[in-house]
Amino acid sequence: MKIVVCIKQVPGTNEVKIDPETNTIIRENVPAIINPFDTYAIEEAVRIREEIGGEVIAITMGIPGAKDMLKEAISLRIDKGILLTDRKFAGADTLATSYTLSKGIEKAGEFDLIICGKQATDGDTAQVGPSLARNLGIAYATDISKIIEIKKDSIKCLKITDDGYEEIEIKLPALITVVKEINMPKLPSIKSMKVAEKSEIEVLTFHSSGADESRTGLKGSPTQVRKTFVPVHEVKNEMIEGTAEEKATKLSEILIKLKGVD
Amino acid sequence: MPNNFAQMYGEYLRDESRQVGNAESIVFPKTEEEIISSVKEMSRKNIQITTQGARTGLAASAVPFGGHIINLSRMNKVTAAKYDKENDRFFLKVQPGLLLTELRKFLVNKSFVTSDWDEDSIEALNYMGINRWFFATDPTETSASMGGIAACNASGAKSFRYGSARDHITGLRIVLADGDLLTIKRGQYIAKGKEFIMKTESGRIIKGQLPNYQMPNVKKNTSGYYNKEGMDMLDLFIGSDGTLGIISEIEIELSKVQAACWGITIFMPSEDKAIDLVRALRKEIIVDSIDLNLQPSAIEFFSHKALEMLRNQQKTNPAFSNIQEIKESYHTAVYIEIEKDSDEEIWSEVKKLGAVINSLGGNEDETWVANNPTNLEKLHEFRHACPECVNMQIDNIKKIDKTITKLGTDMSVPDNKLKEIINIYNEDIEKNNLQAVIFGHIGDNHLHVNIIPRNIEEYEKGKELFLKWAENVSHMGGAVSAEHGVGKLKAPFLEKMYNEEEIKEMRKLKKIFDPAQLLNRGTIFAYEEGEI
Repeated sequence: MKIVVCIKQVPGTNEVKIDPETNTIIRENVPAIINPFDTYAIEEAVRIREEIGGEVIAITMGIPGAKDMLKEAISLRIDKGILLTDRKFAGADTLATSYTLSKGIEKAGEFDLIICGKQATDGDTAQVGPSLARNLGIAYATDISKIIEIKKDSIKCLKITDDGYEEIEIKLPALITVVKEINMPKLPSIKSMKVAEKSEIEVLTFHSSGADESRTGLKGSPTQVRKTFVPVHEVKNEMIEGTAEEKATKLSEILIKLKGVD
Repeated sequence: MPNNFAQMYGEYLRDESRQVGNAESIVFPKTEEEIISSVKEMSRKNIQITTQGARTGLAASAVPFGGHIINLSRMNKVTAAKYDKENDRFFLKVQPGLLLTELRKFLVNKSFVTSDWDEDSIEALNYMGINRWFFATDPTETSASMGGIAACNASGAKSFRYGSARDHITGLRIVLADGDLLTIKRGQYIAKGKEFIMKTESGRIIKGQLPNYQMPNVKKNTSGYYNKEGMDMLDLFIGSDGTLGIISEIEIELSKVQAACWGITIFMPSEDKAIDLVRALRKEIIVDSIDLNLQPSAIEFFSHKALEMLRNQQKTNPAFSNIQEIKESYHTAVYIEIEKDSDEEIWSEVKKLGAVINSLGGNEDETWVANNPTNLEKLHEFRHACPECVNMQIDNIKKIDKTITKLGTDMSVPDNKLKEIINIYNEDIEKNNLQAVIFGHIGDNHLHVNIIPRNIEEYEKGKELFLKWAENVSHMGGAVSAEHGVGKLKAPFLEKMYNEEEIKEMRKLKKIFDPAQLLNRGTIFAYEEGEI
């Protein structure tokens, strides 16, 4: 089975700071990491390969430095990394990103399954996976928490929904996005890191990807960020004084007022 | 009214050793003056005093058996900072009740409560600069207090590189049993041979002679008073378990954080091969002429039984679901932590380590490498899972028989006795059909054997074995307590390590500072009335 995993480089911090002038994420002094959700995608692909054989390819669109992240993915035991990098890809929204990724995947040849993380921790859109499936004209399912069975031409999985789980079966080739409940990613070993160090990353540019210029980068991105801001968390403290009884009475009054508790 | 006291202050009658004592009174001083006034009152009334920090000790030093308690938890400030420009060294003065977690928080944020600081201290903070600083003693229990850490000379996993608390303490202020005050800086009072002489704040001269006993030749030792000809007298008070005076202020030296820190768990095919790996890491043996220069900060060990216990818990207990799967083929584990100035520097050594592992019969693919803080946290969870797992099982057994407590050793041996002592532990455990795991700081030949008794007979059997092991370790030239301190619990073990005369010498030394033996009575050695 040939599996493609889509991964993204994100800032390795929970506190993303945004430049108020340019409305872009400040990346200085913040180490880049593999989007945490994508590590579950990598692990699941590797587990499938270990069980039934095949090949796992990771693909990303990003700056030339994203090569290091693909090498890290190889240390997590994928077989090959592909980097889509070109100035013409810069400034892409989710539509342009998924289009560009689809061109890269087409270049990589036939595949059976694409696995993406549920969403990236910097943008939180969860749009690239489904949009990529549409570009490739294949079926997809999001929020997969377990793969129950893989057959030659179909896959049976569990999908987390607001109300519980759905068991679904999709025809291959297909795309799934996975949640963190699906597995426990393994750490690299000294051996797998040595393999990664010696590996070569395949680079696709705008020309070699065969993409349509009007659909990549800023040109291909209808989404425009007008304004971004960090929400202010306001915490108010109020000390209640008095005897235990007085305090309890006062506290219950406040709670009733706040939440409408009876 | 002892009964009322126990009701109101019950928690102050015990510590993490799970021993429960009794007392008649307690104070929570906020200043050194308050300690002094309480000590003077007790001294006048001839009432014994137990000193407490955060009560996280495992040897019952802080458990009172009668008398008065001085609890230092409210003296929890950082009071001053100092920067030595010439040598780029950074120092802090802290109160004894300050928790290690709090100190770490201050240091990570480089933010201190400076309202009571003098100008020089505030000025010194500017020199922290872009460097990150830390206190290098890292006991597993981070809610320990700084006073407790000094009193028992705590260490922890990274002591393989950084030594114990002793190596990072540069000064102490000590309230003596009569309320007089002793200030000692490192280098200030050096014994001339065995003779020592010190001067208190009131001008009193304390003169004395150091004992004749020899300390064991091990890297980690907290068994009885530190004693060496020509020693720095500061070292006598560090690790003295509160028996010579009450620490009211500690000056510590900070270390610089290095830019890169990795952790690696290595699974070896047998305990013997795991020990060979440890010896290679310590450069005692050279494998295939590979020049390995990892200089790990920590080298830890997990016995075969420890991995088996974790593997079983992993299957049934969701609390351990965050730990990566421990494959059936993994026999014994060695965990190392490496700090250097860059990831590249670490990686070039780790590649060599891979070759060493293969040559020793292991497999470099059977390793877990954490090269970022998130993954390092996962390996720390794995390391902490072992004692947690033991505690959970003990708690279950306690429901059936509450007299059963945890049985954990804290002994260390010289380098060349490592294999021998592990063999003795394993043989005795097997011979007696006990359930036990071995884990801990193998880099310093300091392993914790934890027996998990299934009934009271096994508990008693375990206690007997501990005494036997104390004897074995003493014969090998080892220490019966390597990092927890002797406290009250291990006083019988100390008697295996030192003979009657040597214990008498310790008591005599105590009486120079505390003639009526009021301070932490029964700690390190039993209390004996009368003159010696």
